[in-house]
Amino acid sequence: MMSKGADVVVIGGGIIGSCCAYYLVKEGLKVALVERGEICGEASKTCQGHLFLWELPEINIILAKASKKLYRQISEEIETDIELRNTGSMSIAESPQGLETLKQTIKELQRAGVECELLDGKEFVKREPSIMPEIAGGGYFPEDGQLNPLLATTGIAQAAKKMGAELLTETEVTGIELSADKSAVKAVMTNKGKIETKRVVNAAGAWSGQIGEMVGINIPVVPRKGNLMVVENVPDNFINCKIILASGYLDSLKGDKKVAVAANVQQTKEGNLLLGSSREFAGFDKEVNPEVISQIAAGCIKYFPALAGLNTIRSWAGLRPYSPDMLPIISDSRIEGFYVASGHEGVGITMGPITGKLITQIISGQKTDLPVEQLSVNRFAENKK
Amino acid sequence: MSNQKARTYEGDSDIKVENPDMIICRCEEITLEEILQAIREGAGSVNEVKRRTRAGMGLCQGRSCGRLVRKIIAEHTGAKAGRILPGTFRPPVRPMSLKTMAELEVDDE
Repeated sequence: MMSKGADVVVIGGGIIGSCCAYYLVKEGLKVALVERGEICGEASKTCQGHLFLWELPEINIILAKASKKLYRQISEEIETDIELRNTGSMSIAESPQGLETLKQTIKELQRAGVECELLDGKEFVKREPSIMPEIAGGGYFPEDGQLNPLLATTGIAQAAKKMGAELLTETEVTGIELSADKSAVKAVMTNKGKIETKRVVNAAGAWSGQIGEMVGINIPVVPRKGNLMVVENVPDNFINCKIILASGYLDSLKGDKKVAVAANVQQTKEGNLLLGSSREFAGFDKEVNPEVISQIAAGCIKYFPALAGLNTIRSWAGLRPYSPDMLPIISDSRIEGFYVASGHEGVGITMGPITGKLITQIISGQKTDLPVEQLSVNRFAENKK
Repeated sequence: MSNQKARTYEGDSDIKVENPDMIICRCEEITLEEILQAIREGAGSVNEVKRRTRAGMGLCQGRSCGRLVRKIIAEHTGAKAGRILPGTFRPPVRPMSLKTMAELEVDDE
């Protein structure tokens, strides 16, 4: 059962592709989503579900805030409970120097419109009695939130399907047919047949560079692996704020090291703890790196000594789509009908809805909710119009 | 019956799974009806059922319910018995204390 034609073909069934399909079909377009494996089968299933509203630069913060609002709407529009909740997040400053650095970051974030609060050690320990008592202090970010990324991705894709989008899973894109002068999209070729279309959204995450190559657009997105593990259920008061990040979390995002580990502890609505996280350039290798997992365990135990006696039940790894300038790509391109929604790295879950909405506005020629010039794929070499 | 067949869930085909309230995943207390709902919404593999319902996400990581879930999917999607693969297993093989995990010595080969 292969679609003969569509107004838009979305490539990729992760959070980004699912959100694109959702908003495109709501706009009245005929949408076919093509996914090589299963819906929510790669990075979206391997993340923590943290809605991270303070990743600089400022454009990321603006996108994240808008996206969180859209999640609120989506959670009322769709049948699936995506377990969206306002949790806030905390950042640990271990040493007085760390606290001084955090103070500067907080000033910068406040200028960018982020609500945040600096806490001394005593206040931090009062709020989180399980933390090691020696810490110098930390930050509190009340706007952050959490959802279940598995339910969000599958639920949004399912809702798009109910409105008429076709979900073509186990279907791999093998090529993109262009017009004779190579200026416009004509069809998407897959292992199950051809889909006639004038518009393609490349939401293939860590693999979006390969899709770009099919039409000669340079998308310098590479996989950046993350290892995570899940710990058995613990009582809800083990941590009060459900997302607690180590000092140095923001530093670990910078792409200057082969492997960066910054401990963080998050508790899901079901009560399990998710321990992360790491950022590692290891090509397309998705195997769990035992050394990194061990470092994460050690880092988390240092901050929360009571973790030592708890059991981990599963570890895994996934590939985030890393963009070299730390900004997502949400744009059209010099090829008419070829659109890119990728490069979100660690904030794909956070930015899914706003990405889907912006892509839909770009495709349908509407004024975009937010300025998107600096998110264009044309910022990379060889892509100028 | 060949050993090959004995190791697949086909060997369990005399187990009746009919009561919608029957607990299939004991760790997460997921019922037959919840699994059927996920299948109606398009889940066609053990991993897809897990993502929607949590069946197989608990302490035993699907080691108890995995075969039953495969059987239920096969019965309700019309898939050939052997086509429904087990879910993905990941380390550790059994629950492991974080202290042990933190002290793991990794061989660099």
